[in-house]
Amino acid sequence: MTDVETARAASADAAPALDVRGVSKRFGEATVLDGVDFDLRKGEVHALLGENGAGKSTLMNILTGIYAADEGQIAVCGAPARIRSPSDAVALGIGMVHQHFKLVMPFTGRENIRLAAGTARAGCDWVTVDARIAEVLRLTGLDVDLDVSVSALSVAERQRIEILKALTLGAEILILDEPTAVLTDQEAERLLGLMRDLASAGHAIVFITHKLREVMTAGDRVSTLRQGRMVMRGRAVTEVTSQALSVAMIGEQETTPIARGASALGAPLLQVQDLSVRNEGVGVVDGVTLTVHSGEIVGLAGVGGNGQRELAEAVLGLIPSTGSIALHGSALTDGSVSDRRAQGMRYVPADRTGHALSPNSSLAENLAAAAVRTGRLGHTFISIRTILGFAKSLINAFGIAGAIAGGRRPVRLLSGGNAQKSVLARELDDAARLIIAHSPTRGLDVAACRFVHDRLIEATARGAGVLLISEDLEEILALSDHIHVISRGRLATTENAKPGREDIGALMLGHA
Amino acid sequence: MLERITLERRADASALRSAATYGVALVVAVALSLGVMIWAGVPTGALFEELIVQVFLTPAGLARTLTQATPMMLAALAAALCLRLKFWNIGIEGQLLMGAIFATTVALYDIGGPIRLPLMLAASALGGALWIAAPALLRLRFGVSEVIVTLLLSNVAFLFLQHLLFGPFGDTSHNFPTSPVFDEMEKLVRFGFGDTHAGLILAVIAVLAIAVLVHRTRFGFAARFAGDNPRAADALGFETRRVMLISILLGGAMAGLAGGVIVSGTEHRLTQAVGLNMTFNGIVIAALAGNLPLMIPVVSFFIAGLSVASASLKVFYGVSEGIVLIIQGIILLTLVTFQFTATYRVTIRGPEAA
Repeated sequence: MTDVETARAASADAAPALDVRGVSKRFGEATVLDGVDFDLRKGEVHALLGENGAGKSTLMNILTGIYAADEGQIAVCGAPARIRSPSDAVALGIGMVHQHFKLVMPFTGRENIRLAAGTARAGCDWVTVDARIAEVLRLTGLDVDLDVSVSALSVAERQRIEILKALTLGAEILILDEPTAVLTDQEAERLLGLMRDLASAGHAIVFITHKLREVMTAGDRVSTLRQGRMVMRGRAVTEVTSQALSVAMIGEQETTPIARGASALGAPLLQVQDLSVRNEGVGVVDGVTLTVHSGEIVGLAGVGGNGQRELAEAVLGLIPSTGSIALHGSALTDGSVSDRRAQGMRYVPADRTGHALSPNSSLAENLAAAAVRTGRLGHTFISIRTILGFAKSLINAFGIAGAIAGGRRPVRLLSGGNAQKSVLARELDDAARLIIAHSPTRGLDVAACRFVHDRLIEATARGAGVLLISEDLEEILALSDHIHVISRGRLATTENAKPGREDIGALMLGHA
Repeated sequence: MLERITLERRADASALRSAATYGVALVVAVALSLGVMIWAGVPTGALFEELIVQVFLTPAGLARTLTQATPMMLAALAAALCLRLKFWNIGIEGQLLMGAIFATTVALYDIGGPIRLPLMLAASALGGALWIAAPALLRLRFGVSEVIVTLLLSNVAFLFLQHLLFGPFGDTSHNFPTSPVFDEMEKLVRFGFGDTHAGLILAVIAVLAIAVLVHRTRFGFAARFAGDNPRAADALGFETRRVMLISILLGGAMAGLAGGVIVSGTEHRLTQAVGLNMTFNGIVIAALAGNLPLMIPVVSFFIAGLSVASASLKVFYGVSEGIVLIIQGIILLTLVTFQFTATYRVTIRGPEAA
């Protein structure tokens, strides 16, 4: 009998679903996991917290057979298991919904599940798979259209297909990696409900998240990883405070919520009037009018893909638009990107590696790029020494860790947090007047989020204005002096400058 | 079977590892190439003599190698300038032929008086740049794939060359499709060392100039940023399209100059064989040099040596000249494969233990 079959046979009524003991993993010099213990019971939602780079993904990759542990034992349903490949994990009933979905875009949801079933087990015919899908749908009440191309579905629907896929493949243990990061509040609520339902049906769920509130509402127990060590192991959620969790996650640092006193409103800085953007004949931004004053943070909330990126790019002059844009009262509707940047406009795009950085260029070159472009570092010739010298001061000022050899290594080797720090270091120079920051903290850990927020607040203290576009409502509420909501390319408005959470949620979905 | 192969991205893709990988890849590539040559009928004992001594260590052989390396360096610059911007110029031969045609036009119609030779070379660069302008503009403006356009324009250039050689440019004193031989003032000066000529110096100057442009100027910085991530370059206010267009035109100009150097330095007339295999040579050299201008002369030297060796292999052992292309292919594939393993760790596990 193989390990797999032993585990299956023993799974009948044992309460423990997963028991991890002393698991370690090293990549070269770096110890990513150091003797980690973790246990998971059937019928529970076990929240796993940890900053970026704490080792959560590595641990989950070991459980799903993508990496092999260097040391330690894993038992599934009470029986020792060796997980040596993703198919071993599937056979043991371990399923994972990754942060970046593993779906074939042109295929329908059903085809994706058939494909996964076909690779997991030989001799799996479509009729059997479809029957299993139908059974899972009936048991879970999952609601998603399986017969349209995945590319036509929303993120939340794709996620439901991923969950359905894992369950159809027989997952008893379900790992969800930051599943709410990409969802709106309402969608997240729905997902948390689904997780509770699955747990009551006997599934064991590992729920990875950065959001303390979700741990408190949906979790049964909580574990916390910090720098490869399990610093809080399987504590009941009812016994811990969110303060204790924060401390466990980021150490003994102060964790007071970021709040800003009302700053003196300066002169109007950015005035956007009736701005519209059309993309292949379809209006993606529709008559947007907004003003950002000096010293002000204007928050723009909304579900991703409602015209935020186009609005930001039109204001920066990257894409053509109609309407008028004025900075410091002077119109720059026809100005080029470099004209606008010369007037102090800066951009922190949502997609750091895709839209802000040159991944194969060095960190130093990326930091110096804006100064090189304006000719500040030399009109025709640029020496490498000048670039490194310029970068060095920014690396120190922004504390960019991982800047090996003075920033000579390609920027793609940096972690997400450090990559974002390098974008900020470049964009938040002294001449920055209007900063368009789109999801500036997406995927960052608590400490890095704090850092980003502090820098933005600092900029407003210098008299800059910030247009903060974010899908993270907490962030918008914590930082903004004035909040707008964007839905289907239009600004949805309320009477007061800072609408409440429920109002914003309703506006986002276009109910108001 | 596939399930037992795992790829693990290496966390430590260091410079040392990639240098070591490059070295090992070269050793493997050379071993494979030697195997192929032996299999093709070259006696084992003759390999060293034919591939090293006769090509690099005898004066005549060295001269031949340097002569062949000259246009290869320029063709490789053409490839590298475009590849750095992810513009797949697979029409180097076409640009080179237009360069040769432009230079020949200046020579045959006696244009330019005393500055005719410089004018020929300038015209060749212009010809190459013009021939790449259309695919460049189509790509940058309308997103038309340059792969198809540059490739097909090569054929157009070749047919145009044939038209000229069988018509207005033909030498009426014989029946071969070549132009008349150039006047003395239209030839690049020779060093008295085999056929080596001033084009070699020109090519080295071009390499140095482009190395400075790429690594030490604001323009080169913009080109690097635009080549790696055009969207980020746009958002920073770089004139991405202009920078890309100029770089690509410069690449075309280098290919054209290669044509000018061949007709004025080596052939001294326009023939059908001008530019043979230069697209492939240019791309292979640029790829092996990692698109670094300063590595191009070194790689060109060895690839030229291989090409020179193939001529004598053909005469003495009846090995087809195609063997050079096979060996270039082997070297390139080996290197690409090894570069992959420098980034990923490939593990193949044995059958499942019970």
